[in-house]
This record gives sequence, C-alpha cells and structure tokens, in this order.
Amino acid sequence: MFLSEPVLGVPIVVIMVFGGFLLGITVGATPGLAGPMAMAISLPILISVFGFSNDALLPVLGFLIGIMKGATVGGAVPAILFNTPGTPDAYMTTLDGYPMAQKGEAKRALRIAHFSSASGDTFSDIVLVVCAPFLAILVERYLDLPEKTALLILSLAFIASVIGGSVGKGVISMGLGLLAAMIATGEDFYPRLTMGQSSLAEGIPIAAAVLGVLILGEVFKSLEDLHRTTQSNTMSQVASGKSSALSRNDLRRLLPYIGRSALIGTCIGALPGIGSTLAATLGYTTAKRHYANAKPDNAPDFGEGAPEGIAATEAANSSVSGANLIPVLSLGIPGNAAAVFLILAMDSIGGFNPGPSVFRLGGGIGDSVMNPEMVMVFGIFTAMFLANALNWTIGGIFMRLVGVMARIPKNRLLPIILLLTLTAIYVQETSMLAIWITIFFGLLGYVMRRVGMSPLPFVIAFILAGNLEATARQAFAATGADPFFLLKSPIAFIFIVLAIFVVAYNLRRPLS
Amino acid sequence: MKSGSSSDRWLALFFLAFSILIVFVWIPLDTETGLVEKVRRKFVIGDALAPTITGVIITLGAIMTWLQPSQGHTFTRKNVIWILQLLAIFAISLIIMRYTGPIVAMGFEGGGYRPLRATPPWNYIGFLVGGTMMIGGLIATASRRLSIRGFAIGFATSLIIALLYDMPFDDLLLPPNGDV
Repeated sequence: MFLSEPVLGVPIVVIMVFGGFLLGITVGATPGLAGPMAMAISLPILISVFGFSNDALLPVLGFLIGIMKGATVGGAVPAILFNTPGTPDAYMTTLDGYPMAQKGEAKRALRIAHFSSASGDTFSDIVLVVCAPFLAILVERYLDLPEKTALLILSLAFIASVIGGSVGKGVISMGLGLLAAMIATGEDFYPRLTMGQSSLAEGIPIAAAVLGVLILGEVFKSLEDLHRTTQSNTMSQVASGKSSALSRNDLRRLLPYIGRSALIGTCIGALPGIGSTLAATLGYTTAKRHYANAKPDNAPDFGEGAPEGIAATEAANSSVSGANLIPVLSLGIPGNAAAVFLILAMDSIGGFNPGPSVFRLGGGIGDSVMNPEMVMVFGIFTAMFLANALNWTIGGIFMRLVGVMARIPKNRLLPIILLLTLTAIYVQETSMLAIWITIFFGLLGYVMRRVGMSPLPFVIAFILAGNLEATARQAFAATGADPFFLLKSPIAFIFIVLAIFVVAYNLRRPLS
Repeated sequence: MKSGSSSDRWLALFFLAFSILIVFVWIPLDTETGLVEKVRRKFVIGDALAPTITGVIITLGAIMTWLQPSQGHTFTRKNVIWILQLLAIFAISLIIMRYTGPIVAMGFEGGGYRPLRATPPWNYIGFLVGGTMMIGGLIATASRRLSIRGFAIGFATSLIIALLYDMPFDDLLLPPNGDV
C-alpha cells in the first residue's frame, strides 16, 4: 500500500485533488462518460492503492471530490465546441454555447462557462461550510431515534417522488433497493431471504449492486443505442476563434445571472434527489425570463448565442457540487450519484460515519479530545476549496485542451469502462460470483432505464436501508415496543405527514 | 409489451405479482423470525418486518404506476434479444477467462494452474484472452461489425488493466485467479 506521505514536499491530498480534478475535466469533456462513472471506476483502484487505514480516507475523498468538481466544468467543453453535452447537466449550455462558437467566439464562450462554473462552485462550497454544521447540530439536538427514523423515511419518499417522471416507478425502484439490501442481513443467525444459497449468505456486495445498476446499466443502454443507430458518429468542431478575454463590463453584465443561478443550484443541491440537470434547467429558464426584460439592443436572444445563457446554466449546475454534501455530511443521506460514491468511499474505508455526529466537538472519551471525524470533515472542506482554487487557476486552461476527448468513439470507450469496472469489482471481492452479481444488477439497471424507472432511488435506498432498519429497531426498543413510535413525537409525526404529502403531491403533478 | 401506457400497466401488474410473492411466499419461507418477536419478555422487531414493509412499498408503487401510467417507455422484444446477446458475450468471455489459464497450464506444467496463479505470465493468460473476447465482442455488437481492430483494442486494454493492477500490488489477484 502507498503511504500517505508527501511526494516531493507536496502533501498527498493536494496531489490527489489535483489528479482528480484533471481527470474530472477530462471525463466531463468526454460524451458518454460522466463524473459518477469516473468516481465509480476510480474508487476500487484508489482503495487498492491506499488500503483501508484512516490515512487513506482524505486522499481518496480528495480525488473523488476533484473528479466531481472537474466533471461539471468539463461538461461544457463539447457542449460549446461540438453541440454535444459532455454531461447531461450541460445540455442547456449547447443552446447558447454552440451558436457563440459558430460565430467564432468559442474561446469567449469557454471563458464564460469557466468563470460562471468556478463562481457557482465557490458559492456553493461556502454555503456548505456555513450550513452543514448548523444543520447537523440541529439534528443532534432535536432529533431522537424515532425522529431520525422518520427523517430517513421522508428522505427516501422525497427521492423516490422527485427523481424521474413517474412517482410509482420511483417508489418501486426504492422498494427494490431496500429489498436487495435486506438479503442476508437482519439480527437472527439465519441469513434472511437467501433462498438457502450459501453464496448469498454474506449479502450482496455494495459495490456490485451500486456499480452494476449505475454504471453497467448505463453502459448496456448506451451500447444498445449505438447498436440501433446506423448513422456514423460524425462531429465537426467549429473554429475556436481568436482569444477574447472577459472585460469588466462583461463580468458586470453576467454577475446577476451567475448569482441567481448559483443560489438556485445551491438550494437544489442541498435537497436530496434533485440533480444538477434540473438545477441547470431552472437556472437557464429563470435567466431567460429576466433577460427578456433586461436585454440590451442588438444583443442575441437566448438560444442564439447569449453569453448570459451559458453563465446561468454553468453557474447553476456547478453550484450543486458543494451543496450536495450538506445532506451527506449533516444527515448521512446521499442526494445524488456523486454523493453516493463519496458515501461508498467512507463506508468502504471505514473510520468515518457521515451524519450529525461528525460535528460533535468532543471525541467521546473526554472533552479534551477532539472528535477525529470533525477533523476529517474540515479536511474534506479544505479539499473542496483546494479543488476550487485549481478550478480558478488552471481549470480554464485545461478546459481548452480537452476538446479532443469528444472525438473518442463511444462504441470503443464503453466496453473498456465495462471491463475496468468488472476488474475493479473482482480485485475487491476476489470471486467470479461477484462479477456475475454485478452483471445481474447491470441488467436490472438497463431494464429500469428502458421502462423509464430511475435507478437512483434504488441505489440510495440500498445504501440507507441498513441504517433505516437499525434506527427503527432501536427506536422501537427505546420507546418500550410502542408500535406507534413514529406518530407519538410531534417532529416524527410531521416528517411522516410530509413524506405522505410529498408522494401525494408529486402523484398529482403531470408526468414528464 | 406494447407501447405507452399499456406497457406501464403490464409493469404494474408484474410488480404487483412480485410483491405478493415476496410478502406471502418468499418472506414466510425464508426468514426465521416473524414480524415481531418476544425476547426476554420484551417485544423486538423481527427479521421479517422490514422486508414485509418493503413488499407493501412495492405494492403501493405498482398501484401508483397502474393509476398513473406514463408514455414513451416500452420494453420490447428487441430489448430482450439485446439482453440475450449481452449474456452470450459475457458467458463466453467469462468461461474463456476462467478456464484458459488452467487448460494451458495442464499442457506445460505438471502441478496444474493453482501454484502459478500469481506468477506472470500465467496469471495474465485467462484475463487477457477473456478480456479481449469481452471488449472485442461488445465493440462488434455495438457497431454491428466484426473487426480485428476491436479485438486489438480489447487486447491492449486488457493488458493495460492487468499491468495496472498487477505491477504495483503484490496482493491483488486478477480475474479469475481467486477462483482457481
């Protein structure tokens, strides 16, 4: 195993954040690859490199955070140069980015995307650092076991209802995730729901289920799309045009749009289950409304190469990446696919249990001992600001270099990702059965996508199931076996009512 | 399945049947404790409660899908054929990956493959051949064209992945060496 010692005097965490950030921009600029996919492939390799010691956590998380932040910046590159979003949340960037590039202003469009993205990202990180500890302290102070159980139920209900177009399918997806996580778990000596199979007695490996549904499922679907598409994948890059730095006047014009979108993206990022794509869409549509009233004469409309359109989209989707750690760190609830892999890293390496307890001051032994988990959280905050600093300094330069990534044919790239994922699973589990389990979950993820069922509620439910059941058992025991323990406390009651309301409300909204 | 909302109705019926199977057959037959148990004169939650609630959640999801079917998502026979194609590629490549090393070792070494499974080049043989087949097969299926280039990419990728894991880490085993 590698030691977490400085390399040439540079702390290993800095190197890892740097490496992750560059990889993130590269995968973001590659259509068909996205940040979570790169995080999924990197995680087992990183664990192989750093092992399971406490020293491993920060370098591994630093790398993953770097990927998460880099990917949102990189997604704008092919959106502007090739009219193809590198990541789904960069779709709105194509609407104004590509027309700007066609007018010979590609470099200017990339600069706007970079500035907006870095601004949104920084704002979101500041909100995270300020809000996460307060939220965690509130949770610790006011929520006991029944309330925590109810909060987990509310989160799952929210995620199942808002992700995807159908509430029913979201609820089924969540149910399947809970069911898969319950195999071979429980308190009895007999491993439940294993159908007597000794191979299932250890339960379903978390990496096999998560990577199968999220990564293999997407690879199977994309390969089939390529198989059905007969036309060749031709991409023409528009001329980059001459360099055009942003003037003070440009910045003054763009800043209100960036500010509004950063706020929208941060609020959306803080809610579990709503991803950066919706943030980008909301940021863009809000900006479009404002632009209609404040548009200067002779300026292009939205959709015809308005810089404000790029700024609004990129600020919104990038500001999700900091705020999505608010529910992770203060509640232990992953809100999106990127957060799933951060929790998976924490869970795999151990020594850090995300949730309100990480912000306790004392170390549990005596008041003089600092809580090591809180030290780790501030290490994570530092890694995030480091990634921010890299984004401001070298992000723009590197962004302009990775345009070539969009030319890699997906039909060759996806099988490579698949083998890399299966190998990563094998070196962790050392069993061909784990590979077959991953393929099974990959096929499940593929079928879910084909029937319009989002796989994200499955994954988040799979991760939270153990915690939910354990908290419910403890709450039941602590309340003297009261079957109505979720309804006796006013806060728990409110959470349960909200959970029912959020499902019922979303059930009434028209299907997308 | 047919297009649009009727496809979702079939999906709802499938999951309704699945949830009934879970609650009334699978859980009673495959858990040792009930919904609630009495242990040392105290009631505790049994292992069957959480899966039963999960079954009810899936039932509710199926009912919601039935009542509010969405448009545009269909699961067709073409999708089933695609799954079978994928399974065929995985079955062939993983079987080749599993058995190539032991078969080659049988011809050259008397002691069999197991003592050699962590020794280059023996530990690479199965992974390289199986990985090449997997990537080459998938590229050929996705692009509807069998090409030597696809298998060459498969070989090069398998070799790079094998070296990536094997060179720096002595304690990691490449597929299928942990199973032989």
